[in-house]
Amino acid sequence: MTARTARRPKSNKLPKFLTTFLQDKLAIIAPPLIAIAVFMVIWQLLCPPGSKGLPGPLQVLGETWDPYIIYPLFDNGGTDKGLGLQIFASLQRVGIGFSLASLAGIGLGILIGTNKVIYRALDPLFQVLRTIPPLAWLPISLAAFQQSNPSAIFVIFITSIWPIIINTTVGVQQIPQDYRNVAKVLRLSRQKYFLKILIPAAVPYIFTGLRIGIGLSWLAIIAAEMLVGGVGIGFFIWDAYNNSLLSQIILALVYVGVVGFLLDRIVSFAASKVVAEEQK
Amino acid sequence: MSVFVEIDHVDRVFPLPNGSSYVALKNIELKIKQGEFISLIGHSGCGKSTLLNIVAGLDKASRGGVILEGRQVTRPGPDRMVVFQNYSLLPWLTVYENIALAVDEVMKHLPKGDRKSIVQHHIDLVGLRQAVKKRPGELSGGMKQRVAIARALAIRPKLLLLDEPFGALDALTRGGLQEQLMKICEESHVTCIMVTHDVDEALLLSDRVVMLTNGPESHIGQILQVPIPRPRSRMEVVKHPSYYTMRNEIIYFLNQQKRDKKRKATQKVVIPRQGLEKVTLDIGFIPLTDCAPLVVAKEKGFFKKHGFEEVNLCRETSWNAIASGIATKRIDAAQMVAGMPLAMTIGMGENQPLPIVTSLVLSRNGNAITLSKRFYEQGVRTLSDFKKVIAQTQDRVYTLGVVHSSSMHNLMLRYWLASGGIDPDRDVNLIVIPPQQMVASLKAEKIDGYCVGEPWNSLAVNEDLGFVIATDLDIWPGNPDKVLGVSEDWVNQHPQTHIALIKALLEACQYCDEPRNREEILQLLCQPQYVGSAPESIRPGFIDPYNRGTGEAPQLLQRFNQFHLDNTNCPGRVEGLWLLTQLARWGITPFPKNWIEILERVRRVDLYGEAARQLRLSDLEPDRDPFKLFDGMVFNPDDPMGYLQRLDIRHEIQVKEIILDAAKTLQKAMS
Repeated sequence: MTARTARRPKSNKLPKFLTTFLQDKLAIIAPPLIAIAVFMVIWQLLCPPGSKGLPGPLQVLGETWDPYIIYPLFDNGGTDKGLGLQIFASLQRVGIGFSLASLAGIGLGILIGTNKVIYRALDPLFQVLRTIPPLAWLPISLAAFQQSNPSAIFVIFITSIWPIIINTTVGVQQIPQDYRNVAKVLRLSRQKYFLKILIPAAVPYIFTGLRIGIGLSWLAIIAAEMLVGGVGIGFFIWDAYNNSLLSQIILALVYVGVVGFLLDRIVSFAASKVVAEEQK
Repeated sequence: MSVFVEIDHVDRVFPLPNGSSYVALKNIELKIKQGEFISLIGHSGCGKSTLLNIVAGLDKASRGGVILEGRQVTRPGPDRMVVFQNYSLLPWLTVYENIALAVDEVMKHLPKGDRKSIVQHHIDLVGLRQAVKKRPGELSGGMKQRVAIARALAIRPKLLLLDEPFGALDALTRGGLQEQLMKICEESHVTCIMVTHDVDEALLLSDRVVMLTNGPESHIGQILQVPIPRPRSRMEVVKHPSYYTMRNEIIYFLNQQKRDKKRKATQKVVIPRQGLEKVTLDIGFIPLTDCAPLVVAKEKGFFKKHGFEEVNLCRETSWNAIASGIATKRIDAAQMVAGMPLAMTIGMGENQPLPIVTSLVLSRNGNAITLSKRFYEQGVRTLSDFKKVIAQTQDRVYTLGVVHSSSMHNLMLRYWLASGGIDPDRDVNLIVIPPQQMVASLKAEKIDGYCVGEPWNSLAVNEDLGFVIATDLDIWPGNPDKVLGVSEDWVNQHPQTHIALIKALLEACQYCDEPRNREEILQLLCQPQYVGSAPESIRPGFIDPYNRGTGEAPQLLQRFNQFHLDNTNCPGRVEGLWLLTQLARWGITPFPKNWIEILERVRRVDLYGEAARQLRLSDLEPDRDPFKLFDGMVFNPDDPMGYLQRLDIRHEIQVKEIILDAAKTLQKAMS
């Protein structure tokens, strides 16, 4: 019964959605779509309706259609909110934590990259700290902040800052000798050197750091939210697990994957706009 | 000549990770006039770019420095703008912004409008108006280089430094840019130093082409003046009568260096062992006051100090015996007359070329020309008197003795005679006699005079047989007289021993020039196994005032026997080149076409420097400056052939390329 209701919207909507792209981008769009379709079929075959264990795709769709798919923004108070709001709450934490990490990471990275002594002093420390798994920071941050939200943000911050620092440092250190020589011969002021040479030259590296950083923060937020609770996609998954709502978990995973992918794309799109042609 | 830039004895030493060091540049001395265009040319790895960076202030000289308009260069600055090899434009800035960045920073004091028009003007100058808004990524190599040149010129540098500016461009673009650069430089009278690989480019653009030898210890091998009048054009310069001569000269230099590089690459490297390869040496010497350093090194323990167990000083009968002793490996090393290592290397007479190394000058001066007392009685006091006597007695040919045809005595006597209009081969008869037989021959009237080292002049004076008409201080003060000579093979087999030998002798030379030691040395020299003559014939000049036997009061000659002071011991290449010209002048050897290579291999300033540094003494080679002897004829080390042509009395000059490793290759092929 549930399977039948789930099939209808799929067969009605997807062809329409496809036709808009079919004309010009068929060659690019078709292979992944076919792959997804094949995957779905295999999944459906492996988990037929009524089997114990994991639900099949049709079952997932049926169980989550109302309200989770069609009403992403419903709000029943407490933690009972639509997936859109859940994601938004997580993104907010990531946004704050990642922004702080970017600011601090780029700043520290430049400082370390330009000063050999500081580099020698701090680099070994960072190399050790960056290997600490994100969740290992959680207890200490809970102890320090006493509140769940700042703790989660801190975990984001501490997770994403290392790749940003390290890449920025490398970027600053890798400024081609030629550009430095130009600056030396022209006796550029520090400020001008910073703005016209150091930053532009390090930008590709900085963006590499940011991309890795955003990926890591999205990884960390899910785990952190599972533990600290409150509104957020991580806790949503955890909550669904506790209530044995496997379909909700699977749907949430799809959301998490898509959002992570989009975050990565946004950062790399920004990079492509900022980095000059010759540096790529 | 007002010096605008002086590169003052620059050394650049790079420390190596294994604790030793690599001497990239050695003793670079170059003075540049305002508005001059200088090219640095040489094989890759010769340190051209390093030198340019030192002038720019981007690199620091390990010793010496660069002086621009009387002020030492300590750091980079816009007065010495560089056009870098790979343009070094900032890829995130447009053409306009790249130039503006430089102009805004350097010309802060100008109002904004002026700066803008300067940028515009220079963009127009290199014809890039249509590309103002483009980024370097959108430009071709030639256009990028034009931007780099415009950026450099826009800030009005005093000195423009170009590091292979056109290296990466195609021939057509390069040609156009060269003319453009030339035009701009002429208009703005900017002084330029350019590093290049391209011989034609160097000739087209430069006033002087400075050729650097291969590293390690790269130094200036030759400087070529390019006297083509300006303004020049690419099509016209090739028609200049001396264009191809100059071009060939540079290419010949580069080929010599290439051959040298190959030889060094194939040379078996002896792994330096702890200690010396050989601790007992046989060293040949001729009984003369000049052998003092050898005697002192042995008797005062300098040989022992530097690790030798036993050194035999072999008293030889003649300079020829010394030459054959080295050739047959009977002796390890020897005191040689100054020209002998060069003459043996080129192949004097019928002999095969035998590379001889001299890394130490043992003494300078100390020779004199003695004529029979009969001439004195005839009123001969000067060279012109002597010429008159020769002219008067047409029926008689006077015979003068010299010690060896490649010795300074022969070359100097001939130079002295020729400068007085006496042809040493036609008007007199010169014969070779060992030094210790001179006085006896004079007494027996076999000869009428001679040029020899002490004590053999003073002995004739003391015995009233002759008088000294000139000492070498009158002819060329500071001339190299005796050198240490060893075969190149021996050096290659005993590198450590060789350095130790130089060090021992260098310290002995130092000891010899200490006036308070002279009495002691005199006692040593008088021993029968060394000079063995009476102290009173060694004393004049060495300790006491010098008596010429002319009735004048004896004169104190400060530097008559010079062993160490005034950079005595460095086997400089310029004086080596002078010796080569004189050997060729009298037909003793041909003039080697590859004279740079010959000098590099014979007069090993690098090995001398190594030994001197280990003793914490100065390792500087004298500058490559022109010099003159008593007659005022200027010898320019960049134009040896011109010097030879200007000398009236001489043989027909033979120029020959000397292939040093031919004999070796033959031996290898046969075995």
